[in-house]
Amino acid sequence: MSTRARVTQIEPPATTGGNALLVLVGLGVAFLLITALLGATKAGGSLFNESNLLYVALIFYAGAGALYMGFGVTGTAKYVKYASICTAIGFVANTLAVAHRWYLSGRPPFASIYEMLLSFVWTLALLTLIAEKKFGVKIIGSITMPLAVVCVILMQLLPSEVRPLVPALQSTWLHVHVTLAMLSYATCAVSFALAMMFLIKDDFSTDLFLAWTSTLVTGIYLGIVVTRFERWGGLSVTAWDAQNKTDVFLGRGVRLFVTIPDLGWLFVIALLGALTPLALYFLARARHDDSYLAVANKAVFVGILLQLVVLGAFVLRVRDSSYASPFQDGLYPTSLAASPFILGGMVAAIFASLLYLMLLWRRSDLQDLLPSGDTLDRVTYKTICIAFPLLTGMIATGAFWANRTWGSYWSWDPKETWAAITWLVYAGYLHMRVTRGWRGRRAAYFAILGFGVVIFTFLGVTYLLPGLHAYA
Amino acid sequence: MAFAVLSIPKRIYRTLANLRTGVVLLILVVIASALGTFVLQRPVTEPDKLQAAYSPQILRWLDRLTLTDIFHSWWFLSLLALVSLSIIFVSVERFPNSWRFYARPYRKTDSHFRAANPHKVEIPIRNADQGLNAAERALKKLRWPVERIVDNGEASLYSEKHRFSVMAVYLIHASLLLIFLGGIIDGVFGFSGFMSIPQGQQRNTIELKNGKMKQLPFSVRCNSAGQEDYADGSPKKWWSKLAVVDDGRETQTKEIVVNDPLVYHGLRFYQASYWIDGKKVDGLRIAYSGLDSKAIPLELRFNQPVNLDPETTVTLIEYMPDAFVRDGQVFKKSDSIENLAFALEVVDHANNSTAKVWLFPAEHNVVGAENVKFQFQNPTAAKDIDFSPVTGLEVSYEPGQWFVWAGCLLMGVGLFVAFYTVHMRIWAVELADAQGKLVLWIGGTSNKNKDRFEQKFSAVVAEIRNELDTNTPAARPLVQEKKERPELTMAGTK
Repeated sequence: MSTRARVTQIEPPATTGGNALLVLVGLGVAFLLITALLGATKAGGSLFNESNLLYVALIFYAGAGALYMGFGVTGTAKYVKYASICTAIGFVANTLAVAHRWYLSGRPPFASIYEMLLSFVWTLALLTLIAEKKFGVKIIGSITMPLAVVCVILMQLLPSEVRPLVPALQSTWLHVHVTLAMLSYATCAVSFALAMMFLIKDDFSTDLFLAWTSTLVTGIYLGIVVTRFERWGGLSVTAWDAQNKTDVFLGRGVRLFVTIPDLGWLFVIALLGALTPLALYFLARARHDDSYLAVANKAVFVGILLQLVVLGAFVLRVRDSSYASPFQDGLYPTSLAASPFILGGMVAAIFASLLYLMLLWRRSDLQDLLPSGDTLDRVTYKTICIAFPLLTGMIATGAFWANRTWGSYWSWDPKETWAAITWLVYAGYLHMRVTRGWRGRRAAYFAILGFGVVIFTFLGVTYLLPGLHAYA
Repeated sequence: MAFAVLSIPKRIYRTLANLRTGVVLLILVVIASALGTFVLQRPVTEPDKLQAAYSPQILRWLDRLTLTDIFHSWWFLSLLALVSLSIIFVSVERFPNSWRFYARPYRKTDSHFRAANPHKVEIPIRNADQGLNAAERALKKLRWPVERIVDNGEASLYSEKHRFSVMAVYLIHASLLLIFLGGIIDGVFGFSGFMSIPQGQQRNTIELKNGKMKQLPFSVRCNSAGQEDYADGSPKKWWSKLAVVDDGRETQTKEIVVNDPLVYHGLRFYQASYWIDGKKVDGLRIAYSGLDSKAIPLELRFNQPVNLDPETTVTLIEYMPDAFVRDGQVFKKSDSIENLAFALEVVDHANNSTAKVWLFPAEHNVVGAENVKFQFQNPTAAKDIDFSPVTGLEVSYEPGQWFVWAGCLLMGVGLFVAFYTVHMRIWAVELADAQGKLVLWIGGTSNKNKDRFEQKFSAVVAEIRNELDTNTPAARPLVQEKKERPELTMAGTK
């Protein structure tokens, strides 16, 4: 419990019992559905194909996300109910998309990062619905749905065609191994969301949330600027081969980068926008003056606007344009599909900031909606008790399969190593909880750390580190 | 001083048996492994890639610090050894207590325990034994195993489920040690390497990962090998038909594919790759024509004569990847595929004459066919030549893997028991409450999942109340009670 005075807050908008947002989201969903339907009819072919279904799922997940956010801003409890319905419809569409892909390829969709994300989102939505209905954690969707939306957007950009399985993947163990992986990763995601909920319920101070949100957003933009900022203010992105729908490669594994002029500066500005609240937070800490925090909260708001501008500029300039490359002569086309992780990172940053605003304005309403801290703590522990054996099974079946394919059950491949690290982190959580009696805050931090490692194992290792586990 | 010297091993033991030390060791393992994924590792990276990634000076330092081969470095292995020791010592430290708890369950409550117990209920009863009898019936009805304990003439009930759950944690830690043991056995006795076998030949040496050659006590022959493609040209399947030749006898045959190795005396042969080196040819599709000069397709297999007419046979007898002609003679130039040459032996059984005809597809040239009544044409496309394939096999010997799999299974069982079975206990005893009235005290505990246990406990209590209300008519005379006694002891000993 924090004994300090509560943070000075921005005046929350007046609580209206209105249906304005409901109507708005309903109209938005209807509009997007009709546009999609028109587009699909024009393009011809079956209406119920996987990409259309996935698009429907995306629309409904986004609708659910908007309603959870709307609840955050207006405090209308009714929104949560409709958000849950949206999640359920999105889940049905998602299920059909999985089924369709499975039917077409004749095998479960587990063979590429796209298919993994498809299964991951499906499991995540399922677990969200279970957590809502069974454990009464009504607003868990406000964390898992944005996550689902980011994943589906990433999927729209990743290569999605059904590829035949290379010989190493033709094994029953593929399905067992990946099913276990997806189940455990999604369970870890839910435990993360529950741990966040616990921190909200447990009066984890709002200004610390401010600090961590700003750190996350700063980290994302810092990562982009450090790796992609070019001299004279450009931003480098991967060139896109429109014909083959792949990135352009100079050599094996070496992508061709092009530079979009001036866009780099915008990212630097957004980075500064994310840094400002963080700096103000530390200033408030150093001077013991909470008035800085009020400014910091306003800065978060401004930061979101900046991020939206940068996102818009990025989307407009990357989509269907051509730019020069410093490495090779000529102009090369770009596509959003060639920068899925920049885009995913930006969307995630916006969601994180919005979640913070929701917390800032509607904390007490959120707390009222949540079950007791004790329950949240226990349910977090229970989800990890489910995730941990699944994780163990995933590693064991992976080792067994590797033994049948490569002749060695453990070769310290980065993916293997990071899976083992994830396992050790959760093992640490369990030991601390069982033998040291860690409860509440410390356990929640551990659960959040664990999910961070899971994300790195799932996506980070595939894209950042070399290794055998190249397909996903 | 002797005392201090003696205490050193003890102090080491104490340190390692401390959970905190274990956690510090695990953190170190995590940091080291993470480092091993960020720094390129020599065993899995091509040398030139390493040189491209790091400057020579940095690479020298990385090598010196063994950071380019962390997972086989002495310090990482020692770290794992310390973790194992820590697991063993922590378990040794805690096991006696757990075992005492397991072997001699706490059956009879005392007042301190009753006061501290989190789940408890007191129900007023009218006379002695009425409460215990009702509780016994209720627990039996809800399928709880019940024990009636009589100690110093004082009777009480004890009921428990899933006591083994408390020992699961040792199972998990033992399974981890078993997996480590498997890894150590393979590190010491195991080996892995590569062997390539051209189709139709046999080999008995493998090239180990460290570049050394190892002789096997038997040979492996590749009877045939091949590749199948998807419609888009990407490989779908590689296969090899292998035979093990031991002591000159063929002892085992198997067609292996990528996920399905051949196993012989603990050695496993995996299909790892497949290629064509052009050094050998199995067959040829060409065309020939006789006097009427009509071209007839002809398929030849190596060393297998084919009849062209009743008295003439032709056989594919020789192949050179790179050949040249000088003064009507054919000579081999090199082993690389440059200028292919095929020799056909044409035997005329009527004249008893033999001719050697050479085909040079690259030059569209036929040499030595002057005295033959048939004309031979060169193969026209690459697919008309059946080059002999070579199969690449990954060979590994991992005697410790069975410990690893046993460990994995054991861990699965251990985790299931540890997480999903709950040790639940319920006690019941009749005693006098603060006012001196007779009450039935019921208490219970579980080692995890408290909220679920609370429900079960409430159900038991409700059932006991139910039994007390319905099955015990008010103010029964003592005679009735005597009648009930034998019935109860029977139930108790069941």
